[in-house]
Amino acid sequence: MAIINNSFFGIFVSIVVYLIGVFLFRKSKGFFLFQPLFVGMVLGIFTLWTIQHLTGASPAAVYDAYWQGGTNNHIGANFLFWMLSPATIAFAVPLYKRNDLVKKYWLELLLALIIGLFISLAVIYAATKAMGLSDKVIASLLPSSATTAIAMPLAAGIGGEPAITAMTCILNAVIILALGDQLVKLFRLQKDPIGVGLGLGTSGKTVGSAKAVQLGSIQGAMASISLVVIGVVTDLVVPIFAKWVGLV
Amino acid sequence: MDDSKKKSAVGKEEKKEPSNILVQIAIFVSVLFVSNILAMYMPESFPVPAPVWGLLILYFLLTTKIVKLHQVEQMSTFLISIIGFLFVPSGVQLYTHLEIIKSDGVMLILAIIISTIVLLVVISYTAKFIIMISSKIRGNNNASDTQEVNDGNN
Repeated sequence: MAIINNSFFGIFVSIVVYLIGVFLFRKSKGFFLFQPLFVGMVLGIFTLWTIQHLTGASPAAVYDAYWQGGTNNHIGANFLFWMLSPATIAFAVPLYKRNDLVKKYWLELLLALIIGLFISLAVIYAATKAMGLSDKVIASLLPSSATTAIAMPLAAGIGGEPAITAMTCILNAVIILALGDQLVKLFRLQKDPIGVGLGLGTSGKTVGSAKAVQLGSIQGAMASISLVVIGVVTDLVVPIFAKWVGLV
Repeated sequence: MDDSKKKSAVGKEEKKEPSNILVQIAIFVSVLFVSNILAMYMPESFPVPAPVWGLLILYFLLTTKIVKLHQVEQMSTFLISIIGFLFVPSGVQLYTHLEIIKSDGVMLILAIIISTIVLLVVISYTAKFIIMISSKIRGNNNASDTQEVNDGNN
């Protein structure tokens, strides 16, 4: 354990598993299950699990070593997590570059996010109810259109479990990065860059927005807008919806 | 030769040499510093996270030309290009949630996949229809549209 209680253990593991993902993705000519983030996540979890079982340490101790370089340290893989803040701010640039669209369509975009979120919530609620999931799980899923910082307290407020919400937000992003291209083709969304941008930004958060930037400048700018607006919209819409369907 | 001509044609202010990387970092850090303070003073019932404030502030600085594009563009492109990698620790965080996955299992994962797809598809189509409707309205009432703008200016 002494070896891995080291600030660079977590960063080292993260970069190695991600690069393995990049290698596999390239070799397989873009097979969706070899999406680098997905490979990195699975291999990272597997690495920690293996260490836990080899050393007999507690899961919390192994995770601490990965996340912050051990209990007495402060920096580890959380440095990369921390870097997501400046990376989110960076979306101001693709947004500014298509300021013409923002000025022209701001009302339509706002309406699309509010109405779209209401419809999404209704569909998600109906689907999860039909699947027989408990109210607690459903309440944890509903706020996941916002980022974790907004979604977690919101879930707690409507009777959900914040840990499930956090997990949902993470998986949303991974799913969008792995399946985004296929989904866009399957549902014939590619002809409508504004819609795709908003959709990717809402469902995949920062990761989805990075994907949108790759697709084009309009998509990137629209995803950046949804990053800003959807948090506030979720904050307002989800409690109303939860009250309406009787979750609260 | 052709390339240099093209470059000079693409607008004067937008195509300057990127600023020193430390200047770019300094701008990001200053924006984050202010946005962290703003996030701290948001009420608990209505959290607006620091990165969202930061995005808004940097966008505001760019539209008012206080910060120029060449002072942040290189850093921004770099950061956006590595987001997938930066997200690896968040994904590995699921290690601490393995118990939830064990207890709620396949149905939960399935529900999460469905909710992701629903958000993507429904929001995309809603935006498409709303813009379709609004462009019809705008097309028919072009005169009243410009009038409104004039009113705003007066």
